[in-house]
Amino acid sequence: MNIIAVSMFCCFVLLTLYITYWAAKQIRNRDSFYTAGGNITGFQNGLAISGDFMSAASFLGISGLVFASGFDGLIYSIGFLVGWPIVLLIIAEPLRNLGKYTFADVASYRLKQKPIRILSAFGSLATVILYLIAQMVGAGKLIQILFNLPYHVAVYIVGLLMILYVTFGGMIATTWVQIIKAILLLFGATLISVLVMWKFNFNLNTFFDTAINYHRLSEQIIAPGALIKDPISAISLGLALMFGTAGLPHILMRFFTVKDSIQARRSVAFATGFIGYFYILTFFIGFGAIILVSTNPVYLNSDGDLLGNNNMAAIHLAHAVGGDVLLGFISAVAFATILAVVSGLTLAGASAISHDIFSNVIQPNNKDEKKELNVSRIATVFLGVIAIGLGIIFENQNIAFMVGLAFAIAASTNFPIIFLSMYWKNLTTHGAFYGGIIGLVTTITLVILSPVVWVDLFQFPTAIFPYKYPALFSMSTTFIFVILISLADKSPQAKKERAKFNDQFYRSISGKGIEQGKGH
Amino acid sequence: MFMKDYEKLINLKKIIIYPLLFIIICSYFSFILLIAYYPNWLSQKIFDSSISYGIAYGFFLIFLIFFVTLVYVYLSNKLIEPILKRI
Repeated sequence: MNIIAVSMFCCFVLLTLYITYWAAKQIRNRDSFYTAGGNITGFQNGLAISGDFMSAASFLGISGLVFASGFDGLIYSIGFLVGWPIVLLIIAEPLRNLGKYTFADVASYRLKQKPIRILSAFGSLATVILYLIAQMVGAGKLIQILFNLPYHVAVYIVGLLMILYVTFGGMIATTWVQIIKAILLLFGATLISVLVMWKFNFNLNTFFDTAINYHRLSEQIIAPGALIKDPISAISLGLALMFGTAGLPHILMRFFTVKDSIQARRSVAFATGFIGYFYILTFFIGFGAIILVSTNPVYLNSDGDLLGNNNMAAIHLAHAVGGDVLLGFISAVAFATILAVVSGLTLAGASAISHDIFSNVIQPNNKDEKKELNVSRIATVFLGVIAIGLGIIFENQNIAFMVGLAFAIAASTNFPIIFLSMYWKNLTTHGAFYGGIIGLVTTITLVILSPVVWVDLFQFPTAIFPYKYPALFSMSTTFIFVILISLADKSPQAKKERAKFNDQFYRSISGKGIEQGKGH
Repeated sequence: MFMKDYEKLINLKKIIIYPLLFIIICSYFSFILLIAYYPNWLSQKIFDSSISYGIAYGFFLIFLIFFVTLVYVYLSNKLIEPILKRI
């Protein structure tokens, strides 16, 4: 057991529990629970958003990918980053101006509440649960290695702490936990990179040169490798990453925590800066690990592979450049990262259940805020228990496809519905609902038939659908069906919905009529 | 007066958003297509250094993406907000 890591992690938990206690005292109504009362500033929200993106999976996963195959890691980073200008230019401001708590508020703004809320909530929950499984399994495995805790215990700790944060502290605690973690992670990653580059007198050329000399792939690490083989996969992955971000419910939810569209804009610019900076660091960390970790037998097993797996590259590098103290710090930060990310995911899932399903579908006349608040707390506990359960069930499964599937659903179902509801006058309830369902089913089917599930998970010899990334096909399917069904829709309801577009568009641009964050 | 401002606002938004969107989509998909079709070009080293065109382009893209968000925020605050205040 690493004493430094454990004590640092305990400090973090104590601090966050105190924040939760402080936040719980401020939670009086729905607003404070779902959106922290709309009082988060653009800078704070930028940090929180970047925290959502800098998950343990992207910190350890991308630096591990860079460690294993160099340049390919950069392809992923850039794909994740390029979603942000898309969010900023077409989604962030209308979302803030039209919505209150969930993106379903926007999608159902002029459409029929029930079907659109059900569809959006389903899209949100599917994304959130897939993401949660990936995070929980990753968490269990990571904590097993870092803290020598049994896998189950690690999953329980993460699940329980997350339930505590979200149920009592709502969005206020979730945001502040995320902000603190983002600062710690940026600090830790900066420190590792600076210590690595210091050894090379900050000379990039010698740095890359040494890495090329030590890596078994030699010069191939500065070239595109095995990640993308054919143009179709390349474009498909590109689309999923680019538009997936604009359909992730736990990210979209953060735009409701700021006062207005000016702050929403600022949040994205800050977030893009932090995330871009962070990806540059992971690139240096991956290359640093090639030089300082892969050459040191202390970090290798008898086969010459990294102890643990390639995802441990950043952790081992922390030890190589900063000894036990930095190792402890980075381990604690990695644990904290998992906690913060699963909290955000759970809150997004819980608000889809309570605000979309309960208050607009099951009891559409419910005006009782207290009741909705209680439902979302129950939903939080429910999702937490599900996350723990699934985390344990999926312990030994191959979960590599899950984040990919989450992104595919976000890009192919959530994004088209949000985008068309904001910008396309002719969208109707029928079009959005049936088109959305067709898109969702297509996405899931294509992922199941693709090599990542059909071959890797089900062990069939060849995949029915040959591409790893379905977004090119599933996204276009959704757009085509939503558009065709909407155009064919001649019902009186459709006419009314089209007539409401101009008012909606005016509000989405001007922000007139939105509820401003109230000062306490 | 009101309708005039509103029209102006929408036109202005288009003038700001379309070129930025175009820059992002073109630069990103050119990166992706270069990877798919011309991986050899991306693996060439720049002059005598150990940095490949691929790495340089990748880092350039990260800065470009951030730069675009800054430009958008700057232009919106400078040009859009004054009109919004009037409406």
